Amino acid sequence: MKYASVIRILVTRDLVMRYKKSVLGIGWTLLNPLLTSFVLWIVFSFVFSGKLPNNQQYAPYLFAGIIFHNFFSQGVVSAAESIAGNSAILTKIYIPPQVFALSTALAQFVHFLIGFLPLGLVVYISGSRISIFMPLSIILGLLMVMLISGLGLILSIVFVRFDDMRNIVNVMLLIIFYLTPVFYPITALSKNLQKIINWNPLNSFLECFRWAFSNNSSASLLDWLYISGFSVLVFIFGIYIFKRYWLNIVVML
Amino acid sequence: MSPIISVQDVSLTYRILVNRSNSIKELFKETLHGRVRIRDFTALTNISFTVERGDVLAIVGRNGAGKSTLLKVLAKVLPPTTGSYTSTGSIAPLIELGAGFHPEMTGSENIEFYSALLGRDLKNIKNRVQHIGEWAGVTSHLDLPLRTYSSGMLARLAFSVATYESADILLVDEVLSVGDAEFRAKSSKRMSDFIAGGAAVVIVSHDLDVIRNLANKVMWLEDGRIKEFGPVDEVLKNYENSFG
Repeated sequence: MKYASVIRILVTRDLVMRYKKSVLGIGWTLLNPLLTSFVLWIVFSFVFSGKLPNNQQYAPYLFAGIIFHNFFSQGVVSAAESIAGNSAILTKIYIPPQVFALSTALAQFVHFLIGFLPLGLVVYISGSRISIFMPLSIILGLLMVMLISGLGLILSIVFVRFDDMRNIVNVMLLIIFYLTPVFYPITALSKNLQKIINWNPLNSFLECFRWAFSNNSSASLLDWLYISGFSVLVFIFGIYIFKRYWLNIVVML
Repeated sequence: MSPIISVQDVSLTYRILVNRSNSIKELFKETLHGRVRIRDFTALTNISFTVERGDVLAIVGRNGAGKSTLLKVLAKVLPPTTGSYTSTGSIAPLIELGAGFHPEMTGSENIEFYSALLGRDLKNIKNRVQHIGEWAGVTSHLDLPLRTYSSGMLARLAFSVATYESADILLVDEVLSVGDAEFRAKSSKRMSDFIAGGAAVVIVSHDLDVIRNLANKVMWLEDGRIKEFGPVDEVLKNYENSFG
């Protein structure tokens, strides 16, 4: 691909800048989700530990949920902002704007892979082992890259046009966080609510990830098919919507 | 020989909300009050022209006449609403040079990224960085972050990257007035070499002397339409008289 080197440089730059800026460097990326999870663990482990099936542990369940959910929410926001953020380039040099959304999503993906280290540690401490299906997590990550890029492209159109859209999106992401079994097991919900949450693609993503990483959940083949189809569709839809409306907003940049 | 740039009946229109606000809340309020009006804004109307290999076309006109918009259409950054634009060969946009420069990254890293953005071949990148840095006169600063550069150094570096190799089409927006006298001479020489090498140039400038020196055709834009198009002396004379 003609723009492969642009993507490579953008991804490296994104990661380098992130670690350069924080005092702890790369340590912070490992520490941040650990701390969040630790707090949630203290608060909720008594409530939810018993609700998980016997062979599953709460700590890796929670931590896997946190890093995967962070991947999603930070990815969507940064991919959506990448278009407006690079307007200086986009209005002077011809380059497909999608390159920026994709690069941002890929940087978040690398970030997510780095999170495997503390997650592995948590799995080990809680006395279970990393599954032989762990490499499937990488495929999950790449599906998530498609989902993030697709959603990011759709939102980027609105982000360019309306300044207050960011706040609305942040609220929606918070709602999504609570509607996704990140820190609670789905069985803690009422039967009716479970039926609805089962349609949440993020729920399937999390189930698959927890299962693939340390066999700490039960994901079905249906979950895999659902998220694959969903991600591919959102990706294609995002590209379509972006192409359709890009011309209307490029003059506003 | 077929023209290297062919613009057929190009118009560029976009819609704007008259009560332009950047917030959904405001838009919602105004919609309720029925105060939202959409207006079409026309930046370019029925532009047609061709440029041949070795041509230097200068675009003149008052501020807001659509010169830069037309240049952006030629750079394929803005797509025309109607009409067609075709070009053959590579395009080097020398429009507000240095888009994509990052202040925290070093000179070398910025050279690499800017070259990649312009679609240049990044094989042998070390050699490229070295030559570009040398030509811009910033060799000793290449490993320092860009924020430590003076504005003159930035401009020279950007020009050096963008013109490291010639393209078939050069789009120039007032960038020849970069740097000190010595660098101006150096950059003018590079441009002349490119022109002599058969590149087509489209240049937007308010400096009529530069145009008389370089161009062989002039387009006079007014309110997004071509007012006159033809040989340099003739069009520039009418253009200057219009100020009177």
